[in-house]
Formats: sequence, C-alpha cells, structure tokens
Amino acid sequence: MKKDNVMTWLFLMVLTIISVLFSTNRAHSIGYVILGLAAIKFIGVAFQFMEFKKAHTIWKTSIYIFLFLFVFVIVILLK
Amino acid sequence: MTSTNTNSPNFYYPPGGILMGIIIFLELFTYGVSLIVMVYYGQEEAKVFHESRLRLNITIGTINTMLLITSGFFMATGVAYFKNKNFSKAAFFIKLTILGGFLFLGFKSFEFYEKIEAGLTLGTNTFFTFYWLLTVFHYIHVVVGIIILFSILRGVAKGESNIEDIEASAAFWHMCDLIWLLLFPILYLLF
Repeated sequence: MKKDNVMTWLFLMVLTIISVLFSTNRAHSIGYVILGLAAIKFIGVAFQFMEFKKAHTIWKTSIYIFLFLFVFVIVILLK
Repeated sequence: MTSTNTNSPNFYYPPGGILMGIIIFLELFTYGVSLIVMVYYGQEEAKVFHESRLRLNITIGTINTMLLITSGFFMATGVAYFKNKNFSKAAFFIKLTILGGFLFLGFKSFEFYEKIEAGLTLGTNTFFTFYWLLTVFHYIHVVVGIIILFSILRGVAKGESNIEDIEASAAFWHMCDLIWLLLFPILYLLF
C-alpha cells in the first residue's frame, strides 16, 4: 500500500471534518474557507489518487485553470 | 496500438486515456457551470436557500463524502497492485471500492426517501430543483461507475483486463469523487 496514498486519504478525511465543523459558523467569510478546503481536497484526489501528477503539463494546468475559474467565479458571486 | 508506459507525461495519455480525459473535463465543466448558476440563484434567494440547506441531512452528506474518498483511495491502491502484477490484491481492493460505492448509494437512497417523505421534491423551490437534478445525475454516474468496476473485476479475475482498462475505469470512478467534492460543500455547507 502506497504511503503517499494513505497520508492523502487521512488528510482528505480530516479536511472533510474540518469543513463540516466550519459550516456551523455563520460568519460570511466561512464560505470562502469551505471553498478553499474543497479546492484542496479536489487537488488531492485529482493529483494523488487519479495520478494527474504524472500527466502532461497541459492536463495538469487544465485542472488548475478549471479549479481557479470555478472558485474565482463563486467568490465573486458570494461578495 | 497499445501504450506500454502509462506513466510517461504523454499528452495523449492522461490518467485513463485521452477520451476519458476529455469526458472528465466535459463533466467537470457541466457540473461546475451548474453549481455556479446555483450559487447565483442562492444570492438572489438567500433566505430560501439557507432554510432549504438546513433541511438537508449533513451527517449523511459527510458520511457519503468520506465513503467516496475512501473508495477512491481503495481504487488507487487497487491500480497500484495491478501495476505490480499482484492481481489478487488488486481484485480485493476493487471489491472494496465497489462496496464503498454501494454504501454511498444506500445512504443517498435513504436521503432521497427522507426528502420525498418530507414533501421536498423537484418543484418545492429553486434550491431543491438544483439539489435533485445535481444529486440524481451524480447518483446515476456512481451506478455506471459500479457497473464498470464489476466488468473490470471480472476481467481481472479472468486475467483479461489490461492496465489501460483498469486506469480508464479508475479515472471514471475518481471523476465521480471529484464531482461530489464540488457538490457537497455547495449543496450541504455553503448557504
């Protein structure tokens, strides 16, 4: 069993619990924190489990561009 | 033509192959735009979205997130064992992945049942229109993912599957995971 995958799995589980705990706080800025945590989890799954880290730079960049645009537009809408 | 080195940074071989790569980006784009439109409406009808969000079962949503992450971990482990030609362990981890998928579907079905019993259907309000459309489509993706995993499991047991098949199936499964990682915070936590 790959140690990197185990560590990523643990990290993702902890981030999931943290994001749920944060959601009980109704402060406006919490929305940004929840989005940020979701983005980190997305990268963890895409690059570690899905092995996008081994893909061509264009694919890796495409993942980052998609995620940046997604988060950026939602942050603009939440303001 | 078969690729022998699936780890090389070849543009034509992203995880799962070029076709799967295109499908994954199309799916992410579709769900991404849908979620952005949902957030737009969420700002327009903030009170409705907040009250509706509170009627979702966050515990089930959280358990399902953990189940999909865990099944993704099992799938990645299964692929690693397959690459090391340890087919029995690869099959074992693919079975665990399928189990995670079935548990996800079980919890999600229960949540759907709860919502229908409470009269929270597609036409209840804008929030629940998005909730039903997005989660039911995702549910269908998970069902298709399980069918694909069963087919490669059969191939692994018979020694007929190759690494391209396994990686393409794994990429589809991880795509279900990625979509859920976008759906969960916006549907269950944001509003």
